[in-house]
Amino acid sequence: MAVLDAPPPERSRGGFARIARTTGEVLITVGLVVLLFVVYELYVTDLFSARKQASATAALDDNWAQGRTLHGDLIDGEAFAKMYVPSFGADYRFTIQEGTDAGALEVGPGHYKGTALPGEPGNFSVAGHRVGKGAPFNDLDLLSSCDAIVVETQRDFFVYRVLPHPDELATWNDTKAARPQCAGVGTLRTDAPDGGPYGETYGREIVTPDGVGVIAPVPHRDPAALPVSQQVALLTLTTCHPRFSDRQRLIVHAVLTNQYPKTPGATYEQLLQAIGGV
Amino acid sequence: MYGWIWRRLPGPAGVKAATALVLVLGVIALLLFVVFPWVEPMLPFNRVSVD
Repeated sequence: MAVLDAPPPERSRGGFARIARTTGEVLITVGLVVLLFVVYELYVTDLFSARKQASATAALDDNWAQGRTLHGDLIDGEAFAKMYVPSFGADYRFTIQEGTDAGALEVGPGHYKGTALPGEPGNFSVAGHRVGKGAPFNDLDLLSSCDAIVVETQRDFFVYRVLPHPDELATWNDTKAARPQCAGVGTLRTDAPDGGPYGETYGREIVTPDGVGVIAPVPHRDPAALPVSQQVALLTLTTCHPRFSDRQRLIVHAVLTNQYPKTPGATYEQLLQAIGGV
Repeated sequence: MYGWIWRRLPGPAGVKAATALVLVLGVIALLLFVVFPWVEPMLPFNRVSVD
């Protein structure tokens, strides 16, 4: 009984010790909560997004199988295309939503509203997360020039290939241009002093977050300068840069090189064989 | 703080430990499913678009 009646040891200490102890406990707790937030950002959001991506893909497959046309009138947040990057592995595939708000990007890559549709002249622009939420664009910095980016719509496969990087431009025609996978990938430059309308278009660039020029129909140029009929069909991918930061944006530009109309039952695996898997 | 909570949990030590575990899991679930999704859009980590 005597033991039970004794006051707990803390009570016998001074008020300062108790305050110090409580403060320490609160600080440790805050530290653990921040750590848990990191785990949430890097892993738990992947789980949430994977479920949303799977259901968006299932809904899109269903729409395509039923022959429902979504084209011409894309619905906010609705999936309308799929993208593949063969050099990221044959299983790399994401369903693209309309819109680049947080909700759409949580599901997967999102299409900038008002930019061109897949295969159209202009600039089919897509944003995607680089960290967490499925991180579709985690490895965007690893894309080399001529790497394929495949976009599948209800009727077609469109094969885009990454444009020359800035340091490759000068020697492009003597070096990489001859490689088979680079067929159709040019510098887009003319003899004009500024390189022509596409003089500021590179396979990879890093811009500030307000750099909307990268998703313009002709990157960094006045859209009125070149009529739509003369515009090249570009694909632009945007994500945050550097990783874990939103200080800048990493941009990848690619150009349409091939279009494969889908025959009934056509699969991405068949297309991969047709384009040689790279 | 934790000592204060522990002393207020009812029952013998085993029951206290089980209750404490449930409490911790509850707090983690609250953070993961409610607090973090709410806080996240206000933090500058994941802006990936140009505008």
